[in-house]
Amino acid sequence: MPRNLLKNARVVLAALTFAGFTLALVDFRGFVPAPLGHVLAQSQFVPGLVSLLVGGGLAAIFFLLGLVVALAIGRLYCSALCPLGVLQDAIARISSWLRRKKQFLPYAKPFTKLRQSFLWGTVVVALTGWSGFALALLDPYSNFGRIVSVLARPLLTVANNSIVGIANAAGLQSFYRVDPAWASLGVLLLPALFLTLVAVMSALRGRLYCNTLCPVGTALGLVSRFAAFRIGINKTNCTKCGDCLRSCKAQCIDLRTGTIDASRCVACYNCIGACDEQGIHHHFSWKKTPSRNSSKSEVGRGVPAEPPSPDRRAFLASVASGIVASSAVLTHARAETASTANDTPMLVKKGEASRAICPPGSHSIDQFLDRCTACHLCISACPTHVLQPAFLDYGLEGLLRPKLEYAKAYCLFECTRCSEVCPDGAISLLDLATKSVTQIGVADFYQSRCVVEVNGTDCAACSEHCPTKAVTTRPYHDHLRLPVLDQNLCIGCGACEYACPVKPVKAILVTGRHTHGKADKLVEKKAAAPTSTGDFPF
Amino acid sequence: MKTRRDFVKTSLALGATLSLAGNLNSLFAAETSSPALTATPSVPTGPKPVLAAIRDGDRVAMLDKALSELGGIQSFVKPGQTVVIKPNIGWNSPPERGANTHPSIIGHLVALCLGAGAKSVSVFDNTCDQWRETYVNSGIEKAANDAGAIMVNGKDKTLYREVQIPNGVKLKSALIHSLVLDSDVFINAPVLKHHGSTEMTACMKNLMGIVWDRGYWHKNDLSQCIADILTVRKPALNVIDAYHPMVRNGPRGKTVDDCVEMRTLLASTDIVTVDAAAAKLLGHAPSDITHVRIAHEMKLGRMDLENADVRRHRLT
Repeated sequence: MPRNLLKNARVVLAALTFAGFTLALVDFRGFVPAPLGHVLAQSQFVPGLVSLLVGGGLAAIFFLLGLVVALAIGRLYCSALCPLGVLQDAIARISSWLRRKKQFLPYAKPFTKLRQSFLWGTVVVALTGWSGFALALLDPYSNFGRIVSVLARPLLTVANNSIVGIANAAGLQSFYRVDPAWASLGVLLLPALFLTLVAVMSALRGRLYCNTLCPVGTALGLVSRFAAFRIGINKTNCTKCGDCLRSCKAQCIDLRTGTIDASRCVACYNCIGACDEQGIHHHFSWKKTPSRNSSKSEVGRGVPAEPPSPDRRAFLASVASGIVASSAVLTHARAETASTANDTPMLVKKGEASRAICPPGSHSIDQFLDRCTACHLCISACPTHVLQPAFLDYGLEGLLRPKLEYAKAYCLFECTRCSEVCPDGAISLLDLATKSVTQIGVADFYQSRCVVEVNGTDCAACSEHCPTKAVTTRPYHDHLRLPVLDQNLCIGCGACEYACPVKPVKAILVTGRHTHGKADKLVEKKAAAPTSTGDFPF
Repeated sequence: MKTRRDFVKTSLALGATLSLAGNLNSLFAAETSSPALTATPSVPTGPKPVLAAIRDGDRVAMLDKALSELGGIQSFVKPGQTVVIKPNIGWNSPPERGANTHPSIIGHLVALCLGAGAKSVSVFDNTCDQWRETYVNSGIEKAANDAGAIMVNGKDKTLYREVQIPNGVKLKSALIHSLVLDSDVFINAPVLKHHGSTEMTACMKNLMGIVWDRGYWHKNDLSQCIADILTVRKPALNVIDAYHPMVRNGPRGKTVDDCVEMRTLLASTDIVTVDAAAAKLLGHAPSDITHVRIAHEMKLGRMDLENADVRRHRLT
């Protein structure tokens, strides 16, 4: 077997996943079919974990398969499937080109405590009810998604827009300008900071991020310590030349002891090809056994073998108390905003209002925030860009999660794209018939602000746009027609709010439902002809 | 018939208007929303507009017949000219829902223009729903492209130019799509529909799709703005697809049940005349459609069908 075969296979797989994810997430023209992002994301660790916890799905099967792979051959996931891992390799490669001199990363000791703090911190935060927040914050796949969707996609759109004029003049009519749909500044800042952090770490220390901060890396590291087939150093062949060290991005080869730290090795297989003496090879490590049984139970329980140290206990306690305190503050803030509303909307009166509107198929804010990891596949796929990353709209725990924003767009009635791309059931797949009666919010009409009432002229832009005819018009004085709203028919799509020309506060506003409901459906008989249809009425 | 009392009243009112100038306007305003609306519609003078009203054929055959009544496509399009066609492509719904102009009409119009030697034919609308989805699902993009037209983005603000509208009453300036300002020939080809606020949308209201900011119209006397835009540029040719008009829940509609089969097509060079006839198809007196009446009063066209040269044809 050629020595570089494994590495080359890994590179090809990595390039394909990276390209696939990037395409799905930068796609500002709607070229990429919904299944691409959806299916690719099934391979990701955290969406898979969420799927498993909420009861199945393809991602759950992939997740279990992923654990089996990790137990068999180690952290191949980090090298070949994780788009953030591939991005770090790319950044490291580019930085070494820029540096001209090849960087030498010697063996480094693991930051075991730091690693485990991040992993268990994430687990604890998740268990205390902020599961989505914890997963969203550190999941490498979701972070990659946000970097591409929030930063790369708008930038690429701007680049596209700058060449549209030239392309059209050259006869290429298929080019057109697209709204970059920049996220708000607060939202932009977070992926930008994260990208900076990851870029610096990978440029200086290869996979340092994966081996200190990334909870997925640490979790897989716990499993891969017990991997059946892992690479090791053949001490008889090894001349301690250091070629393998030069090729290792994880700084996990210790030549002095002749060992490779399996918990940090990302299974990139660079070292196998780098070694001219065939001193690095796979070996079956379960022969010595006692680790076999214990390793299985490791996976089953998903906890480390060693008991938590006093340090860790203190850490966990501080995290937990911090969360309890901040969630209490948030609950209080919510109650206040609801009670001070002046022109009280119906849902607020009934105590069913939510601070932000979550997409159809997500069932309720609570369920949505529990499951969504903010990977932004849906935000990239949304054809109207009504889906925008939230800043503090859901509260701190809903940071970066998608919400519907009706200032510049509304939820297209005949579209279920977000539910088609969502990998982990945060937005469950909807058919059009279900979506068309899924009440994500309810509009309230404020006649005192309406153009027809205030100016005494025609308008009814709200009724014009309403897809369910929850907003119609009735005769009003002087031949005018005044909007009239049937809240039972309203699905909260925001078309009316978007279309209403009244500024600064619109005359029709949608309030999100905390738990989505079911709207009535208007069923009408076949329309009657207004005049005799047999002849010309003039 | 005018009684003497009416005459005295009118004379008094006229005299009072002259002496009190603006003050009387506010008096009338208390009674009706606009003083202009109380006046008897004046009859614009000039040649009778031709209205082609065709029934009972397929859309393409009716379009051919209507155009032959109006002198053929070559009377509108000369070789080497650029043409813009403005259909109604407002909503992301398929042709059978009647929310948009039927693609067969647009495809045929494009082919006719190119056949008459047009240098280029462009088709666009500032859609209400998301424009890519709407262009595709309306069937218009395919029909237009197949016939050789260019579908142009109506959601690109850089393609719009600011135009002053000195003769507009409420609409004094607007960002108008450059295709409408720059093309040699401007063809208006909407579908006939019910409308929740203006009762009807046909040719005049279709021109809301040539401006960037429709919200301004909605906020500043919609019906008046619809009439005002005609002072910028009137389409050379107006074609109304009334094959199966949407008669309720307009302009978006919910299902095909909102449409009624009428198998009619109207065409005219006079945008007000053709809309007046369309109003009748939907069971309204033309003067009941506020923007039609205002346009007539502003002498932008004629809504008095009795004074139009109506060419009625049934294709059986």
